Amino acid sequence: MRQLRPIPVIALVVVSMLLAACGVTSSPTPGTQATAPPTSAPTAPPPEAGSLTVLSLWGGSERANFLAVVDGFTAKTGIAVQYETARDFLPVMRTRLAAGNPPMIAIIPRPGVMVDFAKDGALFDLATLDITNLADNYSQAWLDLGTAEGKLYGVAVKANSKSTMWYKPASFQALGVEPPTDWDGLVAIADKYVAAGKIPFAVGGKDSWTLTDWFENIYVRTGGPEKYSELFGGTLPFTDQTVKDAMKRMAGLIAVDKYVAGGRQGVLGTGFVDGIGRVFGTSADAEMYYEGGFVGGIAIGDVNPSLKPVEDIAFFTFPQIDPAHGTPLIGGGDLAVAFVDNDLVRQFMAYLSSKDSADIWASTGTISPNKNTDTSKYPTPLAIEEAKQVAGAEVFRFDGSDLLPGTLGEQWGTTLQGVIENPDNIDSLLNDFEELAKAEFGR
Amino acid sequence: MRRRVRRLQGFAFTAPALVLMTVFLVAPMLFTIRLSLDTGRGFQLREFVGLDNFVRLLTRDRLFLDLSDFPPSGAVFNNVLWIFLYVGLCVGLGLLIAVLADRVRYESIVKSIVFLPQAISATAVGVIWLLIYAPNARVGLLNAGLGAVGVDPVSWIGSRDMVNYAIIVAAVWAGTGLAVVVFSAAIKSIPSEIIEAARVDGANPFQTFGHITLPLISLPVSVITITLVIGVIKVFDIVYIMSRGGPNGASRVIAYSFFEETFQAGKVGYGAAVAVLMVLLIIPIVALNIRRFRAGETVR
Repeated sequence: MRQLRPIPVIALVVVSMLLAACGVTSSPTPGTQATAPPTSAPTAPPPEAGSLTVLSLWGGSERANFLAVVDGFTAKTGIAVQYETARDFLPVMRTRLAAGNPPMIAIIPRPGVMVDFAKDGALFDLATLDITNLADNYSQAWLDLGTAEGKLYGVAVKANSKSTMWYKPASFQALGVEPPTDWDGLVAIADKYVAAGKIPFAVGGKDSWTLTDWFENIYVRTGGPEKYSELFGGTLPFTDQTVKDAMKRMAGLIAVDKYVAGGRQGVLGTGFVDGIGRVFGTSADAEMYYEGGFVGGIAIGDVNPSLKPVEDIAFFTFPQIDPAHGTPLIGGGDLAVAFVDNDLVRQFMAYLSSKDSADIWASTGTISPNKNTDTSKYPTPLAIEEAKQVAGAEVFRFDGSDLLPGTLGEQWGTTLQGVIENPDNIDSLLNDFEELAKAEFGR
Repeated sequence: MRRRVRRLQGFAFTAPALVLMTVFLVAPMLFTIRLSLDTGRGFQLREFVGLDNFVRLLTRDRLFLDLSDFPPSGAVFNNVLWIFLYVGLCVGLGLLIAVLADRVRYESIVKSIVFLPQAISATAVGVIWLLIYAPNARVGLLNAGLGAVGVDPVSWIGSRDMVNYAIIVAAVWAGTGLAVVVFSAAIKSIPSEIIEAARVDGANPFQTFGHITLPLISLPVSVITITLVIGVIKVFDIVYIMSRGGPNGASRVIAYSFFEETFQAGKVGYGAAVAVLMVLLIIPIVALNIRRFRAGETVR
């Protein structure tokens, strides 16, 4: 008995230490602003207390490009920036917000998610942050993209075309074809590849957002830009005949076993980067890959460094389908938003919206949405080409699934996986999805 | 007086454990139960919705439970599949390898090889098997093998019919080692006189196994089985790495649904309802385990 006595004492000490530790984390920290209105006095750490924290999902070459932009900021201001990558962005953001420990700044790939966070009162709007140079640097479309509930929250830092079909020029030459300008031309090339014993496309449908991008390009060209805006803005039901037709057209190409690497199930078993590898990797087994302008950087930077741009890898514009609608551009953008208001954050957000940062972005081959970007900085012909495509688009629409409110964006991707799996189910899949959309849009 | 002192003493002894349990187990669980009755946006109580989450989960969420077809599908059914296949194969192969290895000289080598995957994290196991299953025959070992005998590549992870089995096989590869080591140790502890006596009585190896070995190691077998079952109800990591619950939700398990709803979709209340159902499923199994364990101790 006597020997045992120290144990409870030690245990109590341990417990009290643990409780003390809990006490520290549950005391008011910057995170409590997640519920408080952003205008309430923010708890800003003293500026000299250190560095700025930034979180986004960029890894690999995209991360390196962003760090070059960050270096420009540090060189100018002497402020260190801690950059964190979270490939699985949403879970990390949601837990950190709930724990009252959000990054000071996050760069969000989906405007719909930004709107969610803004509605939850987790963000500081740019007016509060005294950032006023936006109108000089951005066209209205990009300002609208960063706006939620009538307030401007997001600074568009990065743009990309999502209407780029990537191909191998040498392989096209060998087949004796030119980049097509319309859908029938694309199908004809696919058939020619099949006849030559090759597989025309790889699709990274395991990452379902690659399927939503396929659909959007087809839909904006068949349903037209107006209906596109209505559909993803929540006023046109997903059961509309135009949606069904676009899906059938999509399934008629990438849910046909002979056209896609590994057949339909290969589409669903191949991830986004793996899909690039199937076309541009060292063990390639397919000839074309559709995804956004960022494919070039990932293919050359991460997948296969021996690729020579223009010779081995190039893109053409996603072909026209209905001449009445031409070739509208689908584009994506990443938005920087602030979860904390302090001097460091203000300086960095102002920098991100400035021409200085845009020029560094351009020099890394990333397309900047900033209209004052020095276009001579783009380093490769591919980047110049993409920047031209973005700047020259007559009709521009943002990635629709990214605009859908948080929960719907994911589910729309799952729905499209269902279409690839069995195109006969289009009607019932769309009915199911429409139920979800009705609830989310409150219609 | 004395009794009061003793009572206080008992309290003092259990207090640390009670405090820890309350802070880290009971309180979070109560909060989760409360959350499951709410929309729970942003991990906060926003709007009380009663049992709505549970009703929707069990009747209208075809990715969670779909009884309209045969065989049924959905995360719950996938977990059932996991319980039968994963646990069955781990225990079955574990017994087989333990018994066979017991009879050979290179036993330690066999056991080392089988146990080796145990040292690999589930994440790495998932990545290793993703490479084995890669649909591109020039990357994937399995499809390369199929190609060598003239079979077209199969997208193991991209096929609704195949994906669950593919992941379970990877998990069995990683999980059998533990069963082998435990069973093997248990077999070693059986007194050799008993086995010899059986042999003298003319029992063949199968009879020896069925009537002597198995009953004598029934406790470790049941403990391993129950441990594996509990692990399976919680399985998440390997599904997340290998298929992200896809394609089209076909390989979701209960814990993955919880993650998807809570963290990806942000429907925290709905996710909490999944978590509560998961706890309700695990409790009887844990209770059974404790009872068996107690029974085992009293027998001794």
